[in-house]
Amino acid sequence: MEEYRTRKRLFVFLICAILGVLVLRLFQLQVIDTLAYSGESRNNAVRERRILPARGSIFDRNGTLLVDNEPAYSLLVTPLYFNPETIPLLAELLALPDSVISQGVQKARKWNSFRTSLLVRGISFDVLSRILENYSRLPGISYEVDQKRLYRTRVRASHVLGYVRQISDTDLKSRRNEGYQPGDLIGQSGLERSYEKTVRGKLGSELNLVNRYGQIIEPFLGGSEDVASESGLNLHLTIDRDMQVLAESLFVNKRGAAVALDVNTGEILAMVSAPDYDLDMFSKPLKPETWEYLTKSAEKPIFNRATSSLLPPGSTFKPFIAMMALEEGVIKPATTIFCPGYHPRGGPTTFRCLHAHGDIAVVEAITKSCNSFFFEMMYRIDVNTFSRYAHAFGFGHEATLDIGEQGKGLIPDSAYYNRVYPDGWNVGTPMSLGVGQGDMGVTPLQLARYIAAIANGGTLVSPHLVQYTEDPLTGEIEYVVPEPVSKIDISPRYYEVVRRGLRGVMTETSPWLEIPGLPTAGKTGTAQNSRGEDDSVFVMYAPLDDPQIAIAVMVENIGFGSMSAGPIASFMAEKYLTGRISPKRNWLFQQVLEDESEPLPKSLAAIGH
Amino acid sequence: MRTWYTNLDFLSIFLWCSLVIFGLAAIYSTTNGSASEFLLETVRDNYNRQLLWFGVSGLGLIIALLLPVRVYQHAAFPVYILTIALLVIALIFGREINGARSWIMIGSMQFQVSELAKVGTVLGVAHLVGLHRPKSMGIQFALLVVGMILLPAVLIVLQNDMGTALVFLGLIPIALFWSGLELNLLIILIAPAIAGYLAIVYEPAAWIFAVGLTVFMYFRTRDPKFTFVTGLFSVGTVLVATVALTQILQPHQVARILSFTDPGSEQFRLNEGFQQVQSMAAIGSGGWAGKGFMQGTQTQGVFVSEQSTDFVFSVIGEEFGFLGSILVLVLFLTLLLRLMQLGSRTKHPFGLMVAAGTVGIYLIHIFINIGMATAILPVIGIPLPFLSYGGSALLANTALLAIVISLHMRRDDFSIYGY
Repeated sequence: MEEYRTRKRLFVFLICAILGVLVLRLFQLQVIDTLAYSGESRNNAVRERRILPARGSIFDRNGTLLVDNEPAYSLLVTPLYFNPETIPLLAELLALPDSVISQGVQKARKWNSFRTSLLVRGISFDVLSRILENYSRLPGISYEVDQKRLYRTRVRASHVLGYVRQISDTDLKSRRNEGYQPGDLIGQSGLERSYEKTVRGKLGSELNLVNRYGQIIEPFLGGSEDVASESGLNLHLTIDRDMQVLAESLFVNKRGAAVALDVNTGEILAMVSAPDYDLDMFSKPLKPETWEYLTKSAEKPIFNRATSSLLPPGSTFKPFIAMMALEEGVIKPATTIFCPGYHPRGGPTTFRCLHAHGDIAVVEAITKSCNSFFFEMMYRIDVNTFSRYAHAFGFGHEATLDIGEQGKGLIPDSAYYNRVYPDGWNVGTPMSLGVGQGDMGVTPLQLARYIAAIANGGTLVSPHLVQYTEDPLTGEIEYVVPEPVSKIDISPRYYEVVRRGLRGVMTETSPWLEIPGLPTAGKTGTAQNSRGEDDSVFVMYAPLDDPQIAIAVMVENIGFGSMSAGPIASFMAEKYLTGRISPKRNWLFQQVLEDESEPLPKSLAAIGH
Repeated sequence: MRTWYTNLDFLSIFLWCSLVIFGLAAIYSTTNGSASEFLLETVRDNYNRQLLWFGVSGLGLIIALLLPVRVYQHAAFPVYILTIALLVIALIFGREINGARSWIMIGSMQFQVSELAKVGTVLGVAHLVGLHRPKSMGIQFALLVVGMILLPAVLIVLQNDMGTALVFLGLIPIALFWSGLELNLLIILIAPAIAGYLAIVYEPAAWIFAVGLTVFMYFRTRDPKFTFVTGLFSVGTVLVATVALTQILQPHQVARILSFTDPGSEQFRLNEGFQQVQSMAAIGSGGWAGKGFMQGTQTQGVFVSEQSTDFVFSVIGEEFGFLGSILVLVLFLTLLLRLMQLGSRTKHPFGLMVAAGTVGIYLIHIFINIGMATAILPVIGIPLPFLSYGGSALLANTALLAIVISLHMRRDDFSIYGY
């Protein structure tokens, strides 16, 4: 009996000891170290998901919606929970090669194994449904509703709007602390790029409880710690949709550019660069050949010719030369120069004119585009003075503009000549500049600004594309303040002289460019170039008495300015000012539609077509 | 004559009910929470099935209470033999679930024979001890007891259910302890288990234990033979364990054994240690009062696999916290002590041994199961009595309980008084 009692006590002690050990262990886990395990459990079960804000919409100047968003589905992967054995199944469901999936997972893993990253963007609802049917067999896979750009109208405006694409590795590195992650969309060109911060909006976040496969169960703490995203601001552009569409259609099969400015405010009413491209291409996976064609072919559609090309302006530069010569006092409005059909310096074959104009004064010289007269002007004015005036008119440097892709153009001075002609140059060297040829280049944007300055009496406006931003929720509007304009220091009476010459172009030289019932002023140009057929250039403003719009058009390798660039500009102005195209000039309209730029060498142009 | 129920122990029945209801609550949380839509169809029914088994077990309890003492005594050996036969049948014709061929089908019901074997073995051993107790202290008798327990254990090992087999092995020292084996021999028997555990967790401690125990035995017995055997068992175990871990076992086997010592480490965290990392995160994050019923993020997110069966304690730890965990342990403690008391009140070796065996089996299950959930033991797949989902286990454990209560209720019917 005694022995039995001892054993019973021992056994009771054993029970208490064993359960005591468990109590101590539980005390350690649940009381002493509970914070560490709470952290572990929270890391496990609470997933933060970024809420991507809706990208701001874009409207034209009249409030027509040009761009907004539509939902798109993206497949996400959390590498930690992803089972590589499911790659074939996933690839089959997505109809993609296995390698694409494994590379995607690899990339996500390199970024962060614990984080959920993009695997495949832009999958259709059908494909998503098939994946959801197999959801339980695909650990670590989730999806999100993303947005993609939806282009609402026939307006392409590729170079104005710019394209949106997955962020590049280099951008990612520099913008990591702005909340970008691999696979995020970012504006890569045009307004989408320069207004990226504005249109992107503020990221939100959502905390969810997930199970061990990363599937969302329910909002964490009922969503009380979530941060709502704020959608990006809408952009209201200065672009006029109707004129833009018209200009784009007139540029089919042509290379070149057009810029239309509001003469007084510098608002860009239309901006075309051709060939352009369909921005919608970037909403889907882009083929490498297409990208090659966009960026590397001779036509290089991605290149913004309107703001970046470097082309000789040809005779459209003559009004500028005239302004300079008058202000410099090398001629008076009535001063005549004798044109024998060429400029005497260098004999009859060097500086040629199209006609023998005889004694000719400045107004008529502009109207009839007499080369000899303007060769003579540059014979009388030194190149540094030319450079100073050219800069005053906005040439040779970048205009203030709210998109980044822009060229400076080229305006030579003596230092430039010394550098380019180490064997020496002489007074004849700058003479070609008088007719907008030689060692110089301008952009269509600069030309438009210059012709606007002539129309408004010497104000060099600041071109811009965005009028104001608008908060889509509150409707709060903030106007974009353009850079201050500058005044060109030239006597007002000389503008009148030059305008008379420009008016003459429309009445005498190229009457078919006159808008029926609406007097205008303009200047044609035909610029020689090394590529082939001449470039056709035209600048104009309208209406004559109360100028509203200034347009510069340049069409590459197509011939005379009065026949291609001229009509394009004229029809654009007509559409903008009258809202229609008068049937009286149907024949001209048809002809412009049929005109084509001389094709570039096929080996280069053919890529990707 | 007193009515039959005056001796019925309502306390143990109340404790039994409390524990099962606790388990049902945990299972309900795993199957009816916000995450249930992601669960398999078969898992979603767990709660209802367990509820059904609760009813079946209650019925079993009532039946057990109706049977007279003699039936248990007379049936003990036949039940034991039936148990062995069923184990053999399961081994040959049984159905394999989770790698263990320990299931047989009765109609559409699956039954895990190894659970039933616990009842048969406890009854068999108790009857053996009951028959021999007064004159049974020798080594031969001890070997007979060991053999009786080893036989089902070996069959269960052959079924590939190591966890359950381990419970039988644990039953050996307890049975010997109660059948009156000399304490020194018992120490020699238990020493290898402790030495082996220490060798896995922290080898120097194992050596200190082995050498220390040998020296202790020398001073206790002053008997060189005893001392030698102690040394052989304890030091030998440490040696064997060390050699096995470093030389013999495959890396994945070693990993399975070692992972519990640091499941959160880089090398184990995502494979061998995953379950224990998640289980500890669940229990630890429960804190004092828990996250609340059906509010556990680990539970609802099914981060702990087997959370309604072997890891059911993680649900209790997470959702009911330290207080809930302690409540469960207090219920268990009270039940175990009460059963011991009931057993000794029968004043008969059979009654005592059934109670001791029952308490022993519960204790081993509780220790291994909660020890595994809190990572002081490796992952050994055995259920927590009354709480884990599983009909066979619930029924078998309830049967053991019922027999103890029944024997206690009819203790006056024992024909021969043991002591």
